[in-house]
Amino acid sequence: MTLFRRLVTVLVCLFVALPLLWLLYMAFLPPRAVLEARLLPTGFSLANFGALAGSGLWRALLISLVTSGIAVLGQLVIGVGAAYAIRTGLRALWLVLLALALPLELLLVPLFRVLQQLGLLDSPLALVMPFLASPLVIFLLYQSLRRLPWEMVEAASLDGAGHPTILARVVVPALLPEIVAAGILGFAAHWNLVLFPKVMVGDRSWWTVQVWLAELLRNRPLEWGLLGAAAFLSAVPIVVLYLVFERRIVMVFERNFG
Amino acid sequence: MNRMNRRAWLLAIPALLLLAVFLLYPFASVVRYATWDWSGFGDPRPSGTDNLSRLLGDRDFWRSLRTTLLFGVITLPAFLWLSRTVAVAIERTRLEGAIKALLLLPALTTVAGSAVSWFLLYNPNYGFLFELTGIALPWDTAPWAALIYVVLFTLWQNVGYGVLVVSAALRGVPPEVKEAARVDGATDAQVQRFVVYPLLRPATLFLTVIGSVLVLQSYTAVFLLTRGGPFGSTRVIGYYLYETAFERLQLGYGAAITLAVLALTLVVAYLQMRLLSRGIA
Repeated sequence: MTLFRRLVTVLVCLFVALPLLWLLYMAFLPPRAVLEARLLPTGFSLANFGALAGSGLWRALLISLVTSGIAVLGQLVIGVGAAYAIRTGLRALWLVLLALALPLELLLVPLFRVLQQLGLLDSPLALVMPFLASPLVIFLLYQSLRRLPWEMVEAASLDGAGHPTILARVVVPALLPEIVAAGILGFAAHWNLVLFPKVMVGDRSWWTVQVWLAELLRNRPLEWGLLGAAAFLSAVPIVVLYLVFERRIVMVFERNFG
Repeated sequence: MNRMNRRAWLLAIPALLLLAVFLLYPFASVVRYATWDWSGFGDPRPSGTDNLSRLLGDRDFWRSLRTTLLFGVITLPAFLWLSRTVAVAIERTRLEGAIKALLLLPALTTVAGSAVSWFLLYNPNYGFLFELTGIALPWDTAPWAALIYVVLFTLWQNVGYGVLVVSAALRGVPPEVKEAARVDGATDAQVQRFVVYPLLRPATLFLTVIGSVLVLQSYTAVFLLTRGGPFGSTRVIGYYLYETAFERLQLGYGAAITLAVLALTLVVAYLQMRLLSRGIA
């Protein structure tokens, strides 16, 4: 039984690792090696990355970085305030839990209308505004606040500190690990949106990297090297963040959903 | 509650305003939009209950519901079983941390990049695995294979998350309980089956709910991998909604489909709320 479980685990690990390794391999394969029709072409080259110049990928990456970055900063600032208000007694947890189960992508049709009425369609603001209040971030921060010894807050309050001071001097420093982890999860969720940006921002000069990649895969499915290099670049920011903060992210996951 | 606490709600105003504009208002407006004949551009025309009666007789809609159900019936048990099996296998081993880190990676890396990798790795015509072994899942032509392909991608993305949840629950099983069962003469397999697994039930329940949400959200994977094909075999309800509204430009009818999807999601959401608030109370 134990042996069987170990076998399953090894297979799952291989199954998970294979596409990730394949992506690396494709990205750095010399373009000529693919044509040689050998079983397993080898070699190392950066030519695929050179071929991406002028393709619009760099612009798309920059747009994704900026919009996801701003959205997450907003999510954290707005989320800390909301989580703190709920922790001190505001009865709004039901709304957060409802929002958690209703991903914006399910509301594509009505949101299209709302953004149209606000004049935000085809504007990069459409990629940021609807995501500024993240139920996931609020929920995670609220859960962390419940573990915070509340005497700390009460002591500061007795000393005459107002809410903004308490937030800045007590809450944020104490929750920093959770804030970082929630920020990375929020960043990943925003970075990985596909249909929402595709529908709301049709103008290709504002394409995010996911939309750009989806179109490249559709239009040029035979160009392995190019696709691999582009996919690799689109993963770099998140993988770097993840590798740096992996322990914290795993910890926050386990504490809040275990 | 003192004077201080009463003013803290002011800090929630930005979040509440944003949720009202971008969640509650659209949510409440779907019913109205569903009575429109509207292409997304120009002015909508009122069309009464046309969209709703069309929905009831729409064979593609019912088929997409069945596809979603089938997708869920395959994905959910596999997700639960894999999460539990791997979590139990790695518990308290040296590689536990490294394996969790690896398994969580697909959930966070770029979803379109992952789709690119899957497309070129498992392509039945010129994919790497096909060239290497000569066998491939014919997901471009065979309906069953396409569904399996999307199921596998979904599992690949989410199994790490499931393992984390079960693993955290395992850590909550007191060692004395297991020890007591062993002293009473239970074998290791019996300890797992009669002591550990029942204690994992809340985590399993929670994963079932999360898994259901994932199933309802599988439209992104479908969009990236198969676009609903071949022959509509992977057209899950979320993808049918997207396709109708934004590729055939029937947003009024899309709103009617949204109503159906929301009804489904709310059932799941209600269960999730019950579970999560129990953990909070």
